Amino acid sequence: MAKGEFLLEVRCEEIPARMLAPALRELGTRVFEELMARRLPPTEIETGFTPRRLVLALTGLPEREPDRQEDVTGPPVSVAFGEDGSPTSAAVGFAKRCGIDPSQLERRETPRGEYVAALQSIRGRATSEVLAELTPRLLAGLTWPKSMRWATSQGPWARPIHGIVALFQGSVVPFELFGIASGQTTMGHPVLSPKSFDVSSFEDYRKRLAANGIEIDFEQRRATLVKRMKAAATALGGELVDDELLLDKLSSICAIPGVVEGRFDRSFLELPREVLIASLRDHQSALTVQSRGKLLPVFLTVMDRLDDPEGRVRAGNEWVVAARLADARFFYAEDCKRPLADRAVDLENLSFHARLGSYADKSERVVELCRLIGNALELEAETEEAVEAARLLKIDLTTEMVKEFTSLQGMMGGVYARTEGHPEPVWKAIYEQYQPTSTSDPVPSAIASRIVGLADRVDTIVGILGLGLVPTGSKDPFGLRRAAQGVVRIALEGEMEVDLDLVAAKAYQCYEDRLDLPGEEVLATWRPFLFDRVRHILGREGYAYDEIEAARVVGGSNLPDLRARVDALNKIRQEPAFLDVVLAAKRIANILRDTPEKRLREELLAEEAEMILYQAYVGLKNDVDRSEAEGQYEHCLRAIAKFSDVLDRFFVEVLVMDENEDLRNNRIALLQAIQRTLSRTAALTEVVVEKKSGESANA
Amino acid sequence: MSSFQDLALKLSTFWAERGCVYQQPYDLEVGAGTMHPDTFLRVLGPEPWRTVYVQPSRRPADARYGENPFRLGKHYQLQVILKPAPQDVQRVYVDSLEAMGIDLALHDLRFEEDNWEAPTLGAWGLGWQVMLDGMEITQFTYFQQAGGIELEPISAEITYGLERITMFLDLSRNVYEVDWVESGVKYGQVRHQDEVEFSKYYFETANVEFLRAQFEGNEAESARCLEAGLVLPAYECALKCSHQFNVLDARGAVSVTERVDLIKRVRRLAVSCAQAYVETREALGYPLLETSASDKGTGKESAPRKRVEKKPVKTRAAKKKKMKKKSAKAETNGEG
Repeated sequence: MAKGEFLLEVRCEEIPARMLAPALRELGTRVFEELMARRLPPTEIETGFTPRRLVLALTGLPEREPDRQEDVTGPPVSVAFGEDGSPTSAAVGFAKRCGIDPSQLERRETPRGEYVAALQSIRGRATSEVLAELTPRLLAGLTWPKSMRWATSQGPWARPIHGIVALFQGSVVPFELFGIASGQTTMGHPVLSPKSFDVSSFEDYRKRLAANGIEIDFEQRRATLVKRMKAAATALGGELVDDELLLDKLSSICAIPGVVEGRFDRSFLELPREVLIASLRDHQSALTVQSRGKLLPVFLTVMDRLDDPEGRVRAGNEWVVAARLADARFFYAEDCKRPLADRAVDLENLSFHARLGSYADKSERVVELCRLIGNALELEAETEEAVEAARLLKIDLTTEMVKEFTSLQGMMGGVYARTEGHPEPVWKAIYEQYQPTSTSDPVPSAIASRIVGLADRVDTIVGILGLGLVPTGSKDPFGLRRAAQGVVRIALEGEMEVDLDLVAAKAYQCYEDRLDLPGEEVLATWRPFLFDRVRHILGREGYAYDEIEAARVVGGSNLPDLRARVDALNKIRQEPAFLDVVLAAKRIANILRDTPEKRLREELLAEEAEMILYQAYVGLKNDVDRSEAEGQYEHCLRAIAKFSDVLDRFFVEVLVMDENEDLRNNRIALLQAIQRTLSRTAALTEVVVEKKSGESANA
Repeated sequence: MSSFQDLALKLSTFWAERGCVYQQPYDLEVGAGTMHPDTFLRVLGPEPWRTVYVQPSRRPADARYGENPFRLGKHYQLQVILKPAPQDVQRVYVDSLEAMGIDLALHDLRFEEDNWEAPTLGAWGLGWQVMLDGMEITQFTYFQQAGGIELEPISAEITYGLERITMFLDLSRNVYEVDWVESGVKYGQVRHQDEVEFSKYYFETANVEFLRAQFEGNEAESARCLEAGLVLPAYECALKCSHQFNVLDARGAVSVTERVDLIKRVRRLAVSCAQAYVETREALGYPLLETSASDKGTGKESAPRKRVEKKPVKTRAAKKKKMKKKSAKAETNGEG
């Protein structure tokens, strides 16, 4: 046994797979924190789980808490000592309680007056005693996404508890949880090896379970399962079609990572690949095997045992799979009886949202938005492809297949469009319409797909926001955040150079009078909603908040353009000349605050410094105008950075607030013109300047 | 392998031997064994209760004119309620599989998360779908709430799908070919005409106006019964509403928005009945608590007894909670 070992096992009825790993993480962390607070640091923490057990093993724990001295405050000095300075009964009693002689009492000045104090030696508790106190408390306090009560007044916990092993250095740590006393007895697999047995240490425990095929380490179990699956796939003459999520799930619903393989009738291979994979995955948690890109008529899944002595497990799984695939084939054949285009009428009866109309209405709006986006991008062919895809986009929601396998929505429409011979960009745009579904999912590959992806999502967001249903906290029933995330990623990663505010405005228009809120109000909600995602995504790419903000004020909702501005700013912001011009811009903004627009008259320029400034301004304006048009934002910012010298001279030599009103207004007009040019590429006033060079920032 | 009736008999006997009241099916059309008052109402309140019965369960929308080898408009559920759920209920359940003749040493048995929720009954619970060799053979649920009321003690509900299990054990591909009697009458010989005629009725013949009128009538009658303090008749009316809704739905006579409304109305009836049932049992002094005390003096049974004094207080608290919920509901309804 490892020195200072604490072994904890909680045996219970099957806990849902998704809850296990988070629960173990929480338990490990909480136990560690509490032990550290008691100066009982473990050297190693190991956790493990199966559906029926949570396991925690600590090593290197000291025998007991270190002894410590604690300062204990007693009665006030005025009470503790008599007039002659001798200790009163209060002081004697206090000293006795602290286990010291009254002569050892000390005096302490406190805000409430002078008090008697004692240094008390406190003997550390035995580690076992500490564990007996904290373990049941932390176990009972675990947070579960859903918890239950059982029997009479037991729980709440994830599932009923049946046994606890708690051993410190091989001896039982005694406690009780939900009426179950801890001990050293556990058992194997509930059906295959239900005999209970005693364990003495973690190593012993692992060994005894392993002898029954049970692996408590999740990663180890997953690795073994994957290895066995791959070997089985090879033996079947193919390779495993990878599905990491499904492998995670399969590894967490078993204690023994056994693999069962099965066959299905070859005729099912006529079904589209997507359908076979989804049917096997969603209904049977089974993986498929392919050879040279083609599926084989076999499947692999997990069984919570190592062997299948009479082939019953395989026969049972094959029986279920055959029934499931027969269902899938029936649905597919039914769907193929009517081409997508003929089904368009069915969308009229399918509600997108009670107050936003049917999916037929949605499709019409998305067609309009595709036109707008495509035209803005000046892409004729892709626009037509997108429009055609938009017309067919949601029709698969009326198919039997999607009703049965919601995970196939979009993909299924694409498959049917492909079968019907629609051009590749069209069926792809339907197929990929929900991409990206997660942060690791790529944006659609084709332009038409991206146009459709933007149009569909903007339509949804504007519609829902237009009803005043802004997502709050964890409540986002229409998935608007994810939709907005998709919009931003498609625009940024897909280089879609289109002003999304215009798309949103058009979307609002397309809803005609369906929406409750006025258009301005909806757009005022839309912009920050979208920009929350922009900030998040650009922030993750390493750009600073103020850079994004400075570009946003100027660049608006053409996101690739926005990113180019942010990037230019990011590259130049550390340069001293640029920082100077930022400070100058802030100074100008302060001077000009609340001043109405004035007209610049060249003939009123009086002093040399202001004439030089004017000329420099004209040069800068031409340069910036040209470079802006070409999207050369870094060049613009470099040109602007050079401007700080002339500005500085102007501020030193010229008094803006001249007594002469005409001169004064003319100088204000000049600064206003300069301010406009300085802020063409990014709002310099938004750039945060660090303290050391910032003393004049508020001038 | 076991015939259909063998299975029903073995399971009924198994559970009857473990202290269950061997009850008969409810004599009304219901969608599931859960709706039998001996489940839905008996799980409420402090009284202990154990029962087993087969409940023919109607799902009009699943009817297939007797042509689909797997789907039926009416199937048979074997329902078990154990209240309070004994500590070893899961193990006893596994024993019941062995009693059915399944040698678990040859099979893969797993309990996969499946949380049960019946919005029309204001009920939910946590549990599993029990998978045997990849096939779902049982729903196992620890009831947490019914009729919108938090349950104490907790009941375990075990629901076996008899057709599916018989088919599966036989690896049969057609439910109608399954033996009802071993090497004798087939399931199809007993039930096929029933499936064909009721499919026609549900999908083609049912008189929508008549059913609507019945729904409205039963809804009103349920409320009248409740006002008269007659919980069980009120609950029967609610069950009739539920079935008439299912037929209307299968007939294609219910629009999406109407659907939501009808479900809400059935729920309201079921929840009112649950509430009223708790009150009547309290007024009767919880008769089954007495029975359990005199009949069984085992250590296991003593747990619920201890709670007798506390119980009324809890019930009142539950009532208050319920009323709060109700008023919150009313507000949401007002908005919509």
